[in-house]
Amino acid sequence: MTTVGANLVSTQYLANSLVGPVTQAQSQLTTAMTEESTGQYADLGLQLGDQSGYELSLKEQLNLLQTLTTGNSVVSTSLSTAQSALSAISSSAQTTLTDLATWTQGGDSGASLQNMGQSALQSLIASTNATSGGQYVFGGENSSVAPMADYYSTPTSAAKTAVDQAFQTEFGVLPSDPGAADISASDMQSFLSGPFAALFTGASWSADWSSASSVNTSAEIAPGQTATTSTNANQPGFQQLAEAYAMLSEFGGSQLSSDAQQAVATAASSLISEGLDSITDVQAELGSTQSTVTNANSSMSSQLTIMQQQIGNLDDVNQNTTAAQINSLTEQVQMAYELTSRLSQLNLAQYLPVP
Amino acid sequence: MSLSTAFNVISSSFAANAAQIGVVSNNIANVNTTGYSRELANVVTNSYGGADVASVTREANSALLEQVSSSTSQAATQQAISDGLTTLAATVDDSSSTSSTSGADENGASPSAMLSNLESALSTYEDSPTSSSAADAVVSAASDLASSLNSASAAVQQVREQADQNMASSVDTINSLLNQFTAANNAVVSGLQTGVNVSSAEDTRDKIVTQLAQQVGVSTTVAANGSESIYTDSGVTLFQDTPRTVSFTPTPTLVDGASGAAVTVDGVPITGANSPMPIQSGALAGYAALRDTLAPEYEAQLDQIAGGLINAFAESDQSATPTLPSLPGLFTTPGATSPPSMSATTGLADGIEVNPNADPSQGGDPTLIRDGGISDPGNSAYTYNTTGSASYTGRIQELISQISAAQSFDPSAGLGSSSSLTDYANASVSWLQAENQQASDASSYQNALATQATSALSNATGVNLDTEMTNMLNLENTYASTAKLLTTVNSMFSALLQAA
Repeated sequence: MTTVGANLVSTQYLANSLVGPVTQAQSQLTTAMTEESTGQYADLGLQLGDQSGYELSLKEQLNLLQTLTTGNSVVSTSLSTAQSALSAISSSAQTTLTDLATWTQGGDSGASLQNMGQSALQSLIASTNATSGGQYVFGGENSSVAPMADYYSTPTSAAKTAVDQAFQTEFGVLPSDPGAADISASDMQSFLSGPFAALFTGASWSADWSSASSVNTSAEIAPGQTATTSTNANQPGFQQLAEAYAMLSEFGGSQLSSDAQQAVATAASSLISEGLDSITDVQAELGSTQSTVTNANSSMSSQLTIMQQQIGNLDDVNQNTTAAQINSLTEQVQMAYELTSRLSQLNLAQYLPVP
Repeated sequence: MSLSTAFNVISSSFAANAAQIGVVSNNIANVNTTGYSRELANVVTNSYGGADVASVTREANSALLEQVSSSTSQAATQQAISDGLTTLAATVDDSSSTSSTSGADENGASPSAMLSNLESALSTYEDSPTSSSAADAVVSAASDLASSLNSASAAVQQVREQADQNMASSVDTINSLLNQFTAANNAVVSGLQTGVNVSSAEDTRDKIVTQLAQQVGVSTTVAANGSESIYTDSGVTLFQDTPRTVSFTPTPTLVDGASGAAVTVDGVPITGANSPMPIQSGALAGYAALRDTLAPEYEAQLDQIAGGLINAFAESDQSATPTLPSLPGLFTTPGATSPPSMSATTGLADGIEVNPNADPSQGGDPTLIRDGGISDPGNSAYTYNTTGSASYTGRIQELISQISAAQSFDPSAGLGSSSSLTDYANASVSWLQAENQQASDASSYQNALATQATSALSNATGVNLDTEMTNMLNLENTYASTAKLLTTVNSMFSALLQAA
């Protein structure tokens, strides 16, 4: 009987030896084809292992940056609205100032002063109550309520009532009373800088004029960077302009002597100048926030590109490599089929003569 | 030598030839039987010069067999672990829905991705604090996060219960294999005593050992009388003359924190922390590791995330002199009266929900997220927005910073004791995927080893058809020659008788 050497290969092994590699190549082929079509690893978690958390954190940062960029557009819109309202306020103040300079004492009864004041005050109130996305931009945190009450409303506004009361308390008559003609320019001056001015600051301002919150809104404009994203109608500029316009409107067309009217006009134009300066300051502040937001956006946009590249480095397969892999796997499977059919012919029984 | 002696030699040749043909036929018949060991006829010269088949030996290779069974066990362990972890990894699988180019909208469904979505929703709400749709978006992101934790927790429970069932069926298989082994072993022992050919019974024994190795790692020894004993890879006797009883009581429901029963052999536990000799390999060891170690660890991490989340969103007394305790805010569990302690978080991932006081679908008010007071809407002490301003963002900013602020976690969950909520959730995903990757790699490696060992065993002990055919041709020629010899001797006798 033939002895069996170390080189023996069992027929069963010979027949099945190619089954394993073919199955393996086929499964690799499915994976490679998925990766080729999606451009990403077929099973990302399995591929990345403990890198998965890092990848997730990159995606989270990407997500956050995109959210912040979107949020910044809301902020930018509201800042632009505020800026254009401030420009309107500023140009109306400028016009009023010019008109006051051309007004001459005794030229008319003071009705032109009154008109000047009234239209400027109405325009100030309208501009201050500007909205962006349904929010009052000068409301501070209290953005759901119009920051400046309508002075000329019916029933009489609290602000007007307070002005009338202060005048009556000081002089014992109303501005429309003929008796007001006796008021001297110096008395008028001390009234304007005293009791009248007090109506436009502190608690009186908050009670009669403004519903705005002195706390401005703030928002995160870049990761870890929070900016004050609004201003409010309690800024001195608004108070000074409201004060100047209110005195023109109330005392311009009144029974006052022309000296007293001159005192009113002088006081008003100096207040308007001060108010203009304050408004310019506010504009500068908002402008610097706007540029901060723009800078944050452009820095986030370059970060976004880097993040996307990093995520791509982790997720993406090299599609050229995958294509080459598919080719070689296909060849391997074909070769295995070929060999299987050849091996099945390798059988001594095929060559033995049938007796 | 006389002519009659020649007759005797001829007849012994025929007998030996027939016996060898028998062996060859047996080998050819079993050419495709897995685990069949080829037989060899040992031919010796008898006392009067003829040939006898003295014995038939079985071409066994116990070293290779041992290698096959050990690599089979290892592969089965890793396969069992890998299958379970793949199911768990599905709870954090963000790969199918993510794309690096399309970005944030498609973040998958893992708790970690949901947390990131919540952070985005809060950030959007911060930019438009008066928008009720932004508030609703925060609530819906929060409830997605809560339900992703709920479903991850349910998946863990399901994986553990499945592992428990698999352990039960594995134990059944082991018991039935041990009974089959008893019959085969008895046949070998009694066959050796009576001198019967025991090759096929030995094949059966080897085959059963290999099958047993799938379920539990084993080692074997053969006694002088041919009886084989089986031990687990940890040294516990499974079979010695008689089978030992392997027992296991399945636990149908394995809620968070509940532990399943251990597998015992003759009362000695072979799985679990209390086992003096825990088994190392085989599917049973894999299921036990999954049920008792890996899945509970992941569950503990989910519970920590849930606990951390409830604490991060908890509300404190905002009075000038705070006297009231902190209460669970946006996230809570049913009936919770205080934020959880991080050392007792069992069951939180399963129970976490969005506080009904903030959930518009349950009659709650989502703007409480901005203003505070979700915990106790009737109590103004927990209101953060004291002025009632519509654009108040202090609380929202606080919540966003809470998500990324470092907080303490229970180190027993395996992910350290201090990190931010986001980092912790990410670390948990990393942990799971790393375990999964490791088990999957080990599984394919051990499978390759098992395949290689099986091939080597097949080559060492299997049948080669060509060899057997050659043997058969040889025997055919021997038969023809012997027949020729017989006729020749016969004619010589005839000549002799005629001459007489």
